[in-house]
Amino acid sequence: MRLPEPARLHPAVEALTAALGSEQRVAVQQATDRLIRGLTDTLGVPPVKVEVLAARPHAKWGELHGLYTAERGRTPKIQLWMRTAKQRRVVAFRTYLRTLLHEVGHHLDYALLRLRDSYHTEGFYKRESSLFKQLVPEAGRPRVTVEAWFRRSQDERLARLARTPDEAAEALAGRAASALARRPAAEAWSPTEIVCHLRDIEELFGQRFETILANDEPALVEAGPADRWASERQYRRHDAASALEHFRRRRGESLATLMALPPADWQRGGAHPVRGHLTIDLLVALMAWHDDNHLEQLTRALEGRP
Amino acid sequence: MPTMEEYAKQPTAQRLARLTRTADELTAAIKGQSDAALSRRPDAKNWAAKEVVCHLRDTEEAFGARFEQILAMETDPKLGGPSADRWAEERQYLRNDATEAAGAFRKRREETLATLRGLTPAQWNKGAIHPVRGRMTIDTFLTLMAWHDDNHLDQLTRALEGKA
Repeated sequence: MRLPEPARLHPAVEALTAALGSEQRVAVQQATDRLIRGLTDTLGVPPVKVEVLAARPHAKWGELHGLYTAERGRTPKIQLWMRTAKQRRVVAFRTYLRTLLHEVGHHLDYALLRLRDSYHTEGFYKRESSLFKQLVPEAGRPRVTVEAWFRRSQDERLARLARTPDEAAEALAGRAASALARRPAAEAWSPTEIVCHLRDIEELFGQRFETILANDEPALVEAGPADRWASERQYRRHDAASALEHFRRRRGESLATLMALPPADWQRGGAHPVRGHLTIDLLVALMAWHDDNHLEQLTRALEGRP
Repeated sequence: MPTMEEYAKQPTAQRLARLTRTADELTAAIKGQSDAALSRRPDAKNWAAKEVVCHLRDTEEAFGARFEQILAMETDPKLGGPSADRWAEERQYLRNDATEAAGAFRKRREETLATLRGLTPAQWNKGAIHPVRGRMTIDTFLTLMAWHDDNHLDQLTRALEGKA
């Protein structure tokens, strides 16, 4: 199933990524509305209503991810659950989007392909996959500079920030504690230390936003430095999985703060002793670059390269 | 153990002397204690001895950052709220080595003392707006730190005795 000009929908996908990262239901509802509207408009099919709900209902057979219902004389409806049933964790972006497109697939079966019934055929899954690939072009992202991130839209930057906890989790999945603790070189951080660094820097970014928003052009203090934190706070003794969960929580808070900011506040800033004047707008570009940088370092460290 | 009000009446030099002793007192208190004893929480809610040491280490860094910010600004900055319990959990205090943490505290404390000893009289009266305590000058912070040291050294001794 080909979407005409899929790139026009990418900003809506980026916004959805950021909304999920913020873990705020209202934000996810708005972003999902926007994407669904974009999809049905692009494909020229009648609208479908979406309802974003909290924790998935569960039963013996498993958890319900999404549900499509079409009743005669009513606008068809998609229900999506954004948290897992038992642990009530926010669903990963890719899973959420796949579920969304799965339910959209049922809508398209009736509204576009005019099928009498919508079954889970091979063709159905192919259509779902093809929509997913058009909306989320495969990574292979070239590493970009802070300046290049700064020129990208706020949604793009926020989406980058929202993906990072999942990407780090994916990198760490299934690795033994000894592999996570291993430094690839005497002076290069181990995977665990990199995750602890992301966690503590996220707290620092959060504090900077708080300071900038509570004051008028405040002085920002140089913190750390990062290597001092690593040794003082004894990163090498930390548990990587729980460090990652705390990073995820801090990141969710950063995203919630940023998404609630009126546009003018993005230009507020403070004076940094080394980096000069830092606006929130620039800090967000720095964060995106910093994420890229350390995710790359994480991959290298896991491969034993500094 | 003097109260905050009593410390506030002490001359600067006396309060600075209190701060100077803390690193040694901390080292002495944990010396010879097993990691198990240092990691034992007296009850579900109260910190183990090593968590108290890590708290002093991280708070010292935060005090240092506040002084730096106050000294760099013309007006009183508004400060953020406290996060001690969140730090204990996030920074995995229970996995730390207490002796190493005490060493890191000593270094941070020396830096704080160097900053404070170099202040002009006008700088002692510069301040910030604390979310709970209102306006605090650097001088008031010194009082708070002296009291905070006493308080946590006492808590540390109690934790090692299994008392909350």
